[in-house]
Amino acid sequence: MEKKRSVFGRLAALALAAVLLCSLVLSGCGSQPTGDETQTSDQPQQTAEGVNVNYGLSNPWDSLMPYYSVSGSNYSRIIYDKIYDRLAYVQPDGTCLPRAAEKWESTEDGHAIVFTLNQKAAFHDGTPVTAQHWVETFQLITDPACEILGKTALSCLTGTDDTGAAVAGETLGVEAVDDYTLKLSFKQPTIPEEFLVDKNRDIYVLPTYLLKDIPADQVVESDFWRKPIGSGPCKFVSEVSGSNLVLEANKDYQLGAPGFDTLTITVMDKSNLLTALISGDLDYYAFGGNVSEENKTVAEQAGFTVEEGTTPTNFYELMLNCATIDSVDLRQAINKALDKELLCQQSAGTRGTVTGSSILPDTPYSSPAVTGTYDPAGAEALVAKSGYDGKTFSLACTSQRASLAALVQQDLEAVGIKVEIETVDSATMFAGMSDGTYDMGLASHTPTTLPLWFTASRFTEENNIFHVPDLAPYTEMLSAVNEETDETNRIALVDEFEAYLTEEMPFIPLWFSNALHVHSKTVTGIDYAASSSCNENVWEWVKAQ
Amino acid sequence: MLHYTCKRILGALPVFFGITLFVFFLINMAPATIADAAGGGEASSAAVRAALEANLGLDKPLPLRYVLWLKSLVQGDLGLSYRTGQPVVTMIAQRVVPSLILTGTGVAAAILLGIPLGVMAAWKPKSGWGKLAGGLTLLSFSAPGFFLCVLAIFLFSVVLGWLPAAGMYSAGGGGSVGDLLLHLILPAGVVCLSSLGNLVRQTASACGEVLGEDYIRTARAKGLPEWAVVWKHGFRTALLPVVTTILNHIPHIIGGSLIVERIFGWPGMGSLLFTSVSSRDYTVIMGLTVVIALTVLATGILMDLVYRLADPGVGWGGEAR
Repeated sequence: MEKKRSVFGRLAALALAAVLLCSLVLSGCGSQPTGDETQTSDQPQQTAEGVNVNYGLSNPWDSLMPYYSVSGSNYSRIIYDKIYDRLAYVQPDGTCLPRAAEKWESTEDGHAIVFTLNQKAAFHDGTPVTAQHWVETFQLITDPACEILGKTALSCLTGTDDTGAAVAGETLGVEAVDDYTLKLSFKQPTIPEEFLVDKNRDIYVLPTYLLKDIPADQVVESDFWRKPIGSGPCKFVSEVSGSNLVLEANKDYQLGAPGFDTLTITVMDKSNLLTALISGDLDYYAFGGNVSEENKTVAEQAGFTVEEGTTPTNFYELMLNCATIDSVDLRQAINKALDKELLCQQSAGTRGTVTGSSILPDTPYSSPAVTGTYDPAGAEALVAKSGYDGKTFSLACTSQRASLAALVQQDLEAVGIKVEIETVDSATMFAGMSDGTYDMGLASHTPTTLPLWFTASRFTEENNIFHVPDLAPYTEMLSAVNEETDETNRIALVDEFEAYLTEEMPFIPLWFSNALHVHSKTVTGIDYAASSSCNENVWEWVKAQ
Repeated sequence: MLHYTCKRILGALPVFFGITLFVFFLINMAPATIADAAGGGEASSAAVRAALEANLGLDKPLPLRYVLWLKSLVQGDLGLSYRTGQPVVTMIAQRVVPSLILTGTGVAAAILLGIPLGVMAAWKPKSGWGKLAGGLTLLSFSAPGFFLCVLAIFLFSVVLGWLPAAGMYSAGGGGSVGDLLLHLILPAGVVCLSSLGNLVRQTASACGEVLGEDYIRTARAKGLPEWAVVWKHGFRTALLPVVTTILNHIPHIIGGSLIVERIFGWPGMGSLLFTSVSSRDYTVIMGLTVVIALTVLATGILMDLVYRLADPGVGWGGEAR
């Protein structure tokens, strides 16, 4: 018996030794290279010494070329925000603070904005950033030969077409008045803050002197983006695309040196972000350390401070296909049948506010819009009036919103409207709404303070996602709002448009909700709320050594 | 043997191209393209969609796109990622080693634990070892991978605080082997536990049959020590199905573990596949298909060769001698 035990003891020891050996051999293959720290390497490079901030992200970024984000997602923007510089720092309440630009003002006719640039701004190789770099960046991006997606952000400038491509023979609306004065000219009167709230997150200055030898049609594929140089608060060190990004603090950043040495961004599943924060593997995670209602208690029990944001960061809507749900009465019935308070409570607890409009509450354009009071009896009457034939409508939603969709289905079936839920991914849902596959879709968006942030892009010939049969009334009213510069008149026009939307009901606004932010225990100075506007004040972050 | 190997490789070529053709058309049948995903979940305008489709060549007919992809593949070029603009070969190369480390270690641990436990389960099913084998097999089969991941993180990272919950290295850890090993324990443990059940069951089943054979009884009657009867005579004969099970794990080692890598933030092939499927990055999906298909086919050929080498009863022409 003793002999047997010793045999199996030896076997167990051998097994453990072999596992350890395998791990060591394989780990040796994966040990990190040393050498040129600016190169993209097979494995992420780390700085052996110094203060590191571990930053979690639940989805990967795209190319490091900031004007070529295929997904156009905030996960890319939040990365570009670190490496490249933007004109301003935008807060969710619409306040714009200086960044690359120290100040800005509108010209008398309202068709141009003059930016005074910060003279201390410099690219990571030490070259000062001047207005000419901004001009050359815009010229490059709007060059028709440069096949770049981000040019649409510049379609508001004079001398460009609707896609943002420069029009031959016309002068592009960007000018270097002097080394540190930049003038942008627009097709229609533009309020500086509105321009910044809308476009700031998509506009960056590039080191054009390093790109000048690359033909415009090859800029996107250039190797420059594998180890990019920008003028943002962090410098690129290394990347494992879509998984890990190591940045180094730009100690010469014009707004101040970040209080850490390196920033390591790791992509991990959303479900692991909070646990990684609790276990100390992360110092912070985007966006703003957001946490769901049910995980709030977990974070608090782990000793973290959880704070509710003051400005809503989510807007929920029920998209409708007006071609298949073609009766206004039926759309109104759907609106009345939904118990928005219950749905909001289910989704956001006490942090939500039911709405009848896509306009952010507490802005000059918000009004006590009709919230679509829950009225099942009224909904039933409207269903009967609409001549609804009992057709089963499809309701698309993502898996995270399946329980909400079930409540919507329950509400609608209570008034006699049949609904079938289809759980799909986000891209499929939007594609299905665009091509008319689905009749309804449950979606959420990040709002801004602009009155038309939601509606402006959804009632166009190019993107008629609600399949409105006659776009003319919408486009006319949207143009009227856009062209009006007097605030009082503009508010009246917005109210008129909102009233029309309430009458026609092409989509159903549901509620706004505030985010819950888990505060970092190790990094101070984080502006949690601003993260929802895709910018983070990393130059003010401090991590104790 | 050489003739047989060449024949098998030639036979695998149509299968390989068939797999690529099937996957190419299958992913293109998905209801949305990367152009629809543009806009980050917001509605993307027709102009952006059209520009993106033209840039990426998605406006060309599907058969033409497959032919162009195949032409590039033959030239050794897997193309550029739609999402990142980087060469697919580079992106996959960056992920192969981390996947090998993670799943390689996990599967190696499973083999080294699973085989002795399987033998013990067959030899002494009522003993503590046998019960342990049964319990681990049950856990391995019944607990989903994501549950094991979350449980492991909760216990060892959150409650006990012993092990890191995510990543491959600590920032500032200097990329040392020790740091890597520390990060490896939890995800590799989950991979090990997930693979363990199958190995224990296969080994126990194969050994169980062999241990009832007449020649085993003869070996015992000759007075050989019990461990020698079991390990030298029993286990060796039962090795072939066990080797098959082990070889079946090779594609898994190369392909990575999608759920484990995703949850632990491990930069391997599995997490790359997850990202690519979510963002409809067809070129990367096809690149991964090529790597995984080649591995599966190569493993199949390797298994055939091992069988023929191990069992003289099967000839190189495939006929029983």
